[in-house]
Amino acid sequence: MTKDSCEHRWAMANIRHGYLVIEGCFHCRSRISFFSDEPVPPIDDYMEGEHFWSHLGDFQASKFDLRCEKCAAAVPLTDVMALMLCMRCNPECGVFKAGDAGPGKKTWVYAALCADTSHTKGKCLPEAGLRALNEYFNAGLHDPGKLIRIVPCHLRKSVDTCQGVVLADVGLTDIY
Amino acid sequence: MKVSELVALGGFKVFNTYGDREIKGVYISDMVSDIIGISEGNLLVTLQTHKNLIAAANLVDVAAVVFTRGKAPADDVIALAAKAGIGLLGFEGDTWMLAKKLYESGVR
Repeated sequence: MTKDSCEHRWAMANIRHGYLVIEGCFHCRSRISFFSDEPVPPIDDYMEGEHFWSHLGDFQASKFDLRCEKCAAAVPLTDVMALMLCMRCNPECGVFKAGDAGPGKKTWVYAALCADTSHTKGKCLPEAGLRALNEYFNAGLHDPGKLIRIVPCHLRKSVDTCQGVVLADVGLTDIY
Repeated sequence: MKVSELVALGGFKVFNTYGDREIKGVYISDMVSDIIGISEGNLLVTLQTHKNLIAAANLVDVAAVVFTRGKAPADDVIALAAKAGIGLLGFEGDTWMLAKKLYESGVR
């Protein structure tokens, strides 16, 4: 069987534990995120070209890739920072619209968040990774009427007003 | 074992109307980022009661969630779980007590 003809059975691989770190530039108000596998996530401010990045927050998180158990095809998900459940707050948002799968389907949309939160560089997540994520999370669902849709975060209308729920461990490392 | 059979064992508080799913396994974790790796049909045992947990539980299609140590979710968390068809149960004892109870009841 070739990798092209394989009906993949994806499994998580290369699971790494660390932190999802969010930074913001106070000059241009752009936001970026990255995954840190250091024991303590970096919090220092630094300059990068015209940007002055400041730490906005960090959350314990895990990263993984997908590998097919049948043909060994591997899909690295290096650029996926986290998944976020759409709470359907804005009908004009592209992520909201992705939930309209038609009658008979209970669709849950999760936005896959890339590193360039503000999309200032115009890039988001590669199609191969999104396709594999969709196949992985929809495989073997108990309810045949349930559909998980993983969509790229560039569909999101506004980072500032979005009410999505990010799948990260918010608060576990905070001291109140 | 089905979720209803688990509830019938006694000692559980039922927070919402649950789909009577078959419990295919048990996973104990308090980290959302850990949960997204489990397979469909698991009973998720946790101390976390926030919305992020339900978002993850829905993604991996758990059979139900049990909050231990008497923890209770907020109304908006219960509403989200109800929308997703995820049963939410409460257990007064700690996670170890629940693990023993599940094992002794034949859940593997």
